[in-house]
Amino acid sequence: MKRGRSPRARALPRLIAVAVGLASTLLIPAAAMAASNKVRITNLTDVAFGSLANLSVDAVRSQSVCLYADTNTNGYSITATGTGPSGAFQLTSGAAAMDYEVQWSSSAGQSGGASLAPNMPLTGQVSPATHQTCANGPATSASLILLLRSSALSSARAGTYNGTLTLIVGPE
Amino acid sequence: MNARLLKFTAGCAGALLASGTALGATQGTLGATSTGSVSINASVPNRVQIGGLSDVSFTNQDPATAAANAQNVCVWSNTSTKGYNVTASGSGAGSAFTLASGASTVPYSVEWSGSSGQSSGSALTSGSALTGLTSTATNANCASGPASSASLIVRISSANLQTMQAATSYTGTLTLVVAPE
Repeated sequence: MKRGRSPRARALPRLIAVAVGLASTLLIPAAAMAASNKVRITNLTDVAFGSLANLSVDAVRSQSVCLYADTNTNGYSITATGTGPSGAFQLTSGAAAMDYEVQWSSSAGQSGGASLAPNMPLTGQVSPATHQTCANGPATSASLILLLRSSALSSARAGTYNGTLTLIVGPE
Repeated sequence: MNARLLKFTAGCAGALLASGTALGATQGTLGATSTGSVSINASVPNRVQIGGLSDVSFTNQDPATAAANAQNVCVWSNTSTKGYNVTASGSGAGSAFTLASGASTVPYSVEWSGSSGQSSGSALTSGSALTGLTSTATNANCASGPASSASLIVRISSANLQTMQAATSYTGTLTLVVAPE
């Protein structure tokens, strides 16, 4: 004669199912809150130094940009590349070239920051942005600063110089 | 029909204005990395600079021998040809090249060379530009590249030295104006 399972044994699968269900319920919100490790840079504007009448002083242009980093620490790195040889920060006017410098600050509204080297990531940056385009929260979250040193200006040939600076952001 | 056209035109203008100040800038998208770029432009106008000038001093000159003083100066021009002209003027009557001691005056002459290290050059006339010069300077104050790029030569002829009174100081100022070409 086959003996039936005890009531406790019959209840065990139900208990396991309930426990799994509870665990799922608890884990799902946690997964939804995890950082996506995605970044975004926006609010960039072209840099116009204009006609530089005084070549004996540095020319500086800074702008506040939106840098969003959806990581656990809101951390990011930034890499800049110019259009000179090997990505050098260089403007050109025909065959003539003029070097410039690039600085970055992880705070908005700055006129100075950490110097960037071409193709070399500046790490350890943290963004206060809470929206990927800064549509809410801080309107901007970092500063991009470009400098034309007087030493470069006073060696430059007269003319109109152009170049492009590319910024690549990665999560940290 | 005309009114409709006007309205459409106004709409386009508004859209252009609203779309931005950043015609060449590109914005990043959300992703594992994000890339943006900005265009940069700067304009450098024609500029020249003269520097490295030293005062000229003739002391205890033998009137029998013409006096000459040559010095190397830095002239920088950022034009495409690095061209410039130079105009000299003295402190005498009508900007003449003269030294004075009270009412007594003595003429001197000025020469310019577009190369450094020269002991003679093209004669300058007060107020008249010597044109067609080219600079070898690569930095405005010759801090890098050639240390000097032109020569200034000042002379007092023996005949004029003989008109000067002994143990008397004659002074004057020579002004040089450089312009880009």
